Amino acid sequence: MDCSYFRERINLYIDGEMGYLEVAELQSHLSFCPDCAAELAEVGEVRSALAAWGRLELATPPGFVERVMAAVEVEPAPGSPKPFGQAVDDTLQKLDDTLGRIPLPGGRTIPVKNVIGWGLAAAAVAIGLGRRHGRRARELTPL
Amino acid sequence: MATSNIHKWASLPDPSPAELARAAEGDAQAFKLILERYQGMVYSVAYNVLGNHTDAEDAAQEAFLRCYRKLPQFRSEATFSTWLFRLALTASVDYKRRERRHPEPVETPEMAAEAAPQLGEGVDAATIVAALHDLPDDYRVPTVLRDVYGLPYQEIAAATGRPLGTVKVMVHRGRASLRLKLRAEGAGPEQGPAGARPRSDT
Repeated sequence: MDCSYFRERINLYIDGEMGYLEVAELQSHLSFCPDCAAELAEVGEVRSALAAWGRLELATPPGFVERVMAAVEVEPAPGSPKPFGQAVDDTLQKLDDTLGRIPLPGGRTIPVKNVIGWGLAAAAVAIGLGRRHGRRARELTPL
Repeated sequence: MATSNIHKWASLPDPSPAELARAAEGDAQAFKLILERYQGMVYSVAYNVLGNHTDAEDAAQEAFLRCYRKLPQFRSEATFSTWLFRLALTASVDYKRRERRHPEPVETPEMAAEAAPQLGEGVDAATIVAALHDLPDDYRVPTVLRDVYGLPYQEIAAATGRPLGTVKVMVHRGRASLRLKLRAEGAGPEQGPAGARPRSDT
């Protein structure tokens, strides 16, 4: 087997997503292939550097606390009844969280609630058209 | 194998139950103490997800507003810092979905404490910031969530609204791109003898 087969598996190995047999096969290849071993070491270094970066605490911009407090002070107290618009936003967000999203080609997604909403709107239009058609048919039917 | 930085933030001392109760009742001063203590954590998460200061400040502010609104719902099963960390991540990813990115020139952010830390062999903060800045958003966000914060793939897929397989591919490509960028900068381990590329002295 050539190296491309093993290189495709280095990330799976790093993420602990390989079975025992695959791990043994990869480790055996790494023991005599310095190129693949170097690539594994480099990806490991990248991950270590990213994890170390994530442990650092960045300084906030000057005036950050004051700006957040100014926004907090115009908020209603926590737990008090929400303004209508915010209650609607929260409900829509909860619907998104509960129903999830549908994957589309190209890696995009669409909220399930939107699909349901369009379906309901289409059903309402179909019912309206059906009733109109029925009424029209009755009007045209000779007595 | 993933190391989670959630554990690092979980080690921050939590506000006392009395402090949390006062803030949950709308005591602005009590909330300000929480804000001052955790501002660095929340801002860091937002910056790493969004990649620029303007968006990071907006998302961090949104995270603290959500925290203020949801404080009465906080239960002590999780540590406060872990709860707030998740709020910050969610607020940042939601912001990413909603808003267009503000293009900014790459600039190494200031650290809260130490200056110019080394993150590995030949890797400093400026190198990592520049490499992450150059990644396309589609790669950067899942790679940051996975390798900077150690989130499981399932959780990243749920947070970003992407299929699990797509998220894995994006992380793998993000890592590959970062590896090449760090190698070009002369960072990382010494190359093996075969196929090795000489390290730059810059």
